[in-house]
Amino acid sequence: MKAPAKRISAAKTAKAKVSKATSAAVNVSAKPATKVAARKTKFKKTAVKVSTRITSRSVDPITLSVVRGVLETTQREMTLALEKTARSSVFNLAHDYSTAIFNAKPEMILQGQDIPIHLGSLMPAMKAVSAYFGDDIHEGDLILHNDPSYGGSHAIDTCMYKPVFYKGKLVYWTVCKGHLTDIGGPVPAGYNPNAKDIFAECLRIPPVKIWDKGKPRNDVLNMIFTNMRARRDQEGDFNALIGACQVGERNLLAMLDKYGKGQVDDCVGELLDMAERHMRSLIKEVPDGTYEGVAILEDAGHGFGDFEIKATVTIKGDGCHIAIASPPQIPYFINSYEGNSHSGVYLGLMMFAQLPPPYNEGLYRCVSLDFGPKGTICNAKEPAPHMNCTTTPMETLTDAVRLAFEKAVPSKVSASWGHANGLNIAGWDNRHNEEYVTMVLATIISGAGATPKQDGWHAVGPECCFGALTSGDIELLEYSYPIIIHQYGLMEDSGGAGEYRGGSGTAWEVEPLDSEMTFIMFGEGRRIPAVGAAGASSAMVEPKVGRLERKIDGKVEVIKDNIIGTIKPGETVTNKNPGGGGFGHPFKRPVEKVVWDVKNGLVSLKGAKEDYGVVIKDGKSLAVDTAATNKLRSAVH
Amino acid sequence: MRSKYRLGIDAGGTFTDFVLADSTGHIRLFKALSTPVDPTLAIRNGLKLISDEIGESPESIISNCDLCINGTTVGLNALIQHKGGKTGLICTAGHEDSIEIRLGHKEDGYRYDAEYPAAEMLVPRYLRKGVRERVISDGSIKTPMHEDDVRDACRAFLAEGVETVAISFVWSVLNMKHEHRAAEIVREMMPKAVLTVGSELYPQVREYTRTSTAVTNAYLAPILKGYVAAVDAYFKQLGAKYPVRYFQSNGGLAIGKAMTDRSVYAINSGPASAPQAGLFVCEPFGHKNVITVDMGGTSFDITLTKDGVTNVNKNIDFLRYRIGVPMIQVETLGAGGGSIGWIDSMGLLQVGPQSAGSDPGPACYGQGGTKPTTSDVNLVLGYLNPEGLLGGRLPLDKSKATAALRTIADPLGMSIERAAYGMYTIVNNNMVNGIRRVSVERGYDPRDFVLVGAGGATAAHITALARDMGIKTVILPKLASGLCAFGQIISDVKYNYMATSPERLDNPSSFGRIDKLFKKIEKQGVEHLETDGFKKSQIAIKRSMDMRYVGQVHECTVEIGNFEVNAKTIGKIIEAFHTRHEELYTYSERQSTVEIVNIESTLFGKVAKPVAQKLGRGMPVAKAVKGSRMAIFSADGKAKKTPVYDGSKLGAGAVVVGPAIIEEVTTTIVIEPGWSAKLDASGSYVIKHKGK
Repeated sequence: MKAPAKRISAAKTAKAKVSKATSAAVNVSAKPATKVAARKTKFKKTAVKVSTRITSRSVDPITLSVVRGVLETTQREMTLALEKTARSSVFNLAHDYSTAIFNAKPEMILQGQDIPIHLGSLMPAMKAVSAYFGDDIHEGDLILHNDPSYGGSHAIDTCMYKPVFYKGKLVYWTVCKGHLTDIGGPVPAGYNPNAKDIFAECLRIPPVKIWDKGKPRNDVLNMIFTNMRARRDQEGDFNALIGACQVGERNLLAMLDKYGKGQVDDCVGELLDMAERHMRSLIKEVPDGTYEGVAILEDAGHGFGDFEIKATVTIKGDGCHIAIASPPQIPYFINSYEGNSHSGVYLGLMMFAQLPPPYNEGLYRCVSLDFGPKGTICNAKEPAPHMNCTTTPMETLTDAVRLAFEKAVPSKVSASWGHANGLNIAGWDNRHNEEYVTMVLATIISGAGATPKQDGWHAVGPECCFGALTSGDIELLEYSYPIIIHQYGLMEDSGGAGEYRGGSGTAWEVEPLDSEMTFIMFGEGRRIPAVGAAGASSAMVEPKVGRLERKIDGKVEVIKDNIIGTIKPGETVTNKNPGGGGFGHPFKRPVEKVVWDVKNGLVSLKGAKEDYGVVIKDGKSLAVDTAATNKLRSAVH
Repeated sequence: MRSKYRLGIDAGGTFTDFVLADSTGHIRLFKALSTPVDPTLAIRNGLKLISDEIGESPESIISNCDLCINGTTVGLNALIQHKGGKTGLICTAGHEDSIEIRLGHKEDGYRYDAEYPAAEMLVPRYLRKGVRERVISDGSIKTPMHEDDVRDACRAFLAEGVETVAISFVWSVLNMKHEHRAAEIVREMMPKAVLTVGSELYPQVREYTRTSTAVTNAYLAPILKGYVAAVDAYFKQLGAKYPVRYFQSNGGLAIGKAMTDRSVYAINSGPASAPQAGLFVCEPFGHKNVITVDMGGTSFDITLTKDGVTNVNKNIDFLRYRIGVPMIQVETLGAGGGSIGWIDSMGLLQVGPQSAGSDPGPACYGQGGTKPTTSDVNLVLGYLNPEGLLGGRLPLDKSKATAALRTIADPLGMSIERAAYGMYTIVNNNMVNGIRRVSVERGYDPRDFVLVGAGGATAAHITALARDMGIKTVILPKLASGLCAFGQIISDVKYNYMATSPERLDNPSSFGRIDKLFKKIEKQGVEHLETDGFKKSQIAIKRSMDMRYVGQVHECTVEIGNFEVNAKTIGKIIEAFHTRHEELYTYSERQSTVEIVNIESTLFGKVAKPVAQKLGRGMPVAKAVKGSRMAIFSADGKAKKTPVYDGSKLGAGAVVVGPAIIEEVTTTIVIEPGWSAKLDASGSYVIKHKGK
């Protein structure tokens, strides 16, 4: 066997000297800050007290804005490079990757606007990687890592870390993390619902150098690729990750040349402090106290029954402590190691804070975390199997934190989003005579939770990704894999009922083109719908939860446990994803809005009556029986 | 030019610009207020203005024009305000929702924003009708079309009063049979409806993009149709000898029929003529690498041309709608004269994208604005004439500008002057950031380009931008504020033809197939242009291919000129792809197989250019000085006494050394210390840094 590990053609390292930039174009959501003499518990979007003297150190506020812009531009360009060059559909169609920049400490100085599940865990992961190598970090090194015991989330999310040196000293790390299509192990695509421990899931990669002082370690790379399916895709994706790290390095060095390291360091320090002050100002407006949120983690096939995850949020002044309690870990792939649990908790926090970018580690300085004793589902230890953790239990963990914050500030926090329950597929592609394997991100696109101001977005989940994914064009998917996608659409009655309705979930129906296909199920949310907020709940539960429907010879079998199965051409599976939770009591939803949803097939006649108390005489005229409607609606109030 | 005049009419948000070129090389610029409710009214008003000025009746002007060209915003406005036609979609059953799912993505920047609304649907769900039919990825038919489903859809549309219909089926791009049959049925049952067929409008892979493009086209078609009919009739009545040409967002002209069939090509036509204008004004100096920047009241538009070829976007989100067809890449930022400076929730100073607009406008306009804008900054820095703009017709109030700036200077603990220069720096950096998106993100180093300034407000920032980016040469035409309208009258007719042809290039038998497909779409294009009245000798063709490594999903567009695709040329074509990949992403994989996905031929119908203008020598430079004022050029806020020149008194060859301010009637040019401007006979200032 030849060792085909690739040499990355030396980057065009001509340093683009042009790198100043700020970010008004990026940050279009932010509105001018309003000074509020805020009473506690009164919340307004971006209503933050801005201390009159902004800088705590001698930072020129203009250069500060410019440096912030360079960092954001850098992260954006890293992301673009990754997306455009990656091979696997999970990267290039689904956007299931993230990029970040760390300083030498290493503190995260810019978090991309990508996938929330990746970014919380990058902080402990970066620290673990840096600590592992200590002072053995050199210019030209490139470090690979995926293992959850070193702060990773799940092992298929593979991280690349490039130390950036300036004048011989370590100054930054450019970091990418992305979901590969395969990571070795007994089951294609990494998700093995039958795994009893982590060794039955994947190839574990502790921090390892794949470049040593600029020289690729082809033997190590070959060892890794030899353990993975669809090698060509994995090699291409590694190149994409490395390319993105190099793009980041190029920009950061140009920034230091232009503004000088001292000045840039001051600005970066100030950006971290500003983020800290911002989060503190939000927390300060929450009344002091202890708030509890409890969410149920569904039994999706392990047989140990449902579990409770509890979050206790303690607010004191401008600080916040979040403690998690979860049951002991189980021999099933839903255990979350500490790195991943960071992501779950931070997402719950962001559902409260609702901050516009930029994001950095300063945001979390005022938040202390306790994930409970080691060996529990939200603080797992070796050898717990874990592959499903980025969705399950993460979304339940996020819900628990969100619910605690909802108790603290009921008017602000949005409803839960639909949880992920989806598919990986694998098989043989006769068209090119090669193996294929991939996670199908289109199968996890659920509905968003409604907010205090509007209906939830359709088809923009799941909760753990918060709209950052893209599901990929169906023609491109059919071009890449030997499949036929018969349906990718919204589902009637799937959005949680509420004064503001939850977003609709999606159905994705697939048939293999000409050979048997293996499908591997993961996730949950197949019995318990997305949790509503501010008194929202649905009478019709069944259409609002996820499921898999396998159709063979016209017979439909509904599957709610995570299984591995196969189908042949002529047979299909339809993966259905839950809608988001509603906000406010559904009987408060204006009748004309309910009628409009019925007209558009988002709510059925039955749903209108049972969920919303609106009686519509027939599907054709859509005339409302006002008397019956008033009677139904008044019965509850 | 075949006749006495050529007329360009470019409708903008506030003003409609009129450019009248005559056969002696004289170019006149007029401005009339835009009339969004009845866009033809602005044309009538403008013609009256021109008529009064030159003492010739509109009939005489128009009948003596070899070309009348119109850039219109009616399509854009309809899309912004959601006032298109009532639209129905006929699509593959099971895929009715792709335009609402939008690939399941929420735009970056709004990740945790609980109030950012979902995109407004151009076709509500109840008007999206699925038809049982299916073509699969090899182009074969898996499920024959149920024609009754199409008929049911038409009946429903008729009952609902649908006036325009889009048809878009999965993989129609590889097999158009079903779409064509469905189109026949729609034409038969809904003879009055406007019809858009996805595989004809945008024959490329990507169902969501194709459907969304078709829907947007259908939505705009009735609007464009009505508009074109009104304008065509008006010009005919005035005695126009040739049909009116309309400007498209692909940077070329089209006749009315093409505009109504392909309305989606009209949506961002305004700024798309800037590259042509940029190349034109650079021609005397031999520059073919050009970045144009156009700063108006609310926005800043950027385009880039490399070696005479302008960056094009395909498959992008425009106003939140996915559009496939090629459009000139215009990077638009909220950075105009009215952009507001503010302190964000983190405490950072920002400028824009919010704008004071024209009401209340910048604080210095004295119409009630209290927030500091870029114009206020330029006034406080001493760049703008405190006596007012447009020769004093628009007076400015410096004390109001100062008061507005105090609202950010105080919290930042800075002097008014330093805060003003800070805002100036930040808005310039926003622009630099935008310029990166058209240059660095496309694999180009901006230092290899010249910068051309367009729009009324750009000239106050142009040397600062060049300085920040390391650009050595700036070209600033006296005509800057009407440069886009000018760009339209020097443009060619341009149509894009596309096809999909997924082929791996390690298979030599593919070369002939690819070339044949190019020839096929080009034959169509030539016929189209011949019907428009072009001779073979006036038609030019440029080819491009979307290429990638096998396994990648995003393509990179490679221009191949008019290369034939065969065994001899393929090596060069593949090499061009590797090089482009390296430019864009820092690496290439020369050992990997390359494939092509889409092909495209751009056909140009060449239009003779107007006669270039030529300035005479003016008076000695010193005599053009009209006075001086204190102006600030550094972060410390210290002011320098700076001479002010009257641009109308400068002649060809005049050199103005910075620091200096040159006042033209419609723009004010700031020359920073270290830079100097030389007025060229072609009517442009060439601004360079000392010693370069």
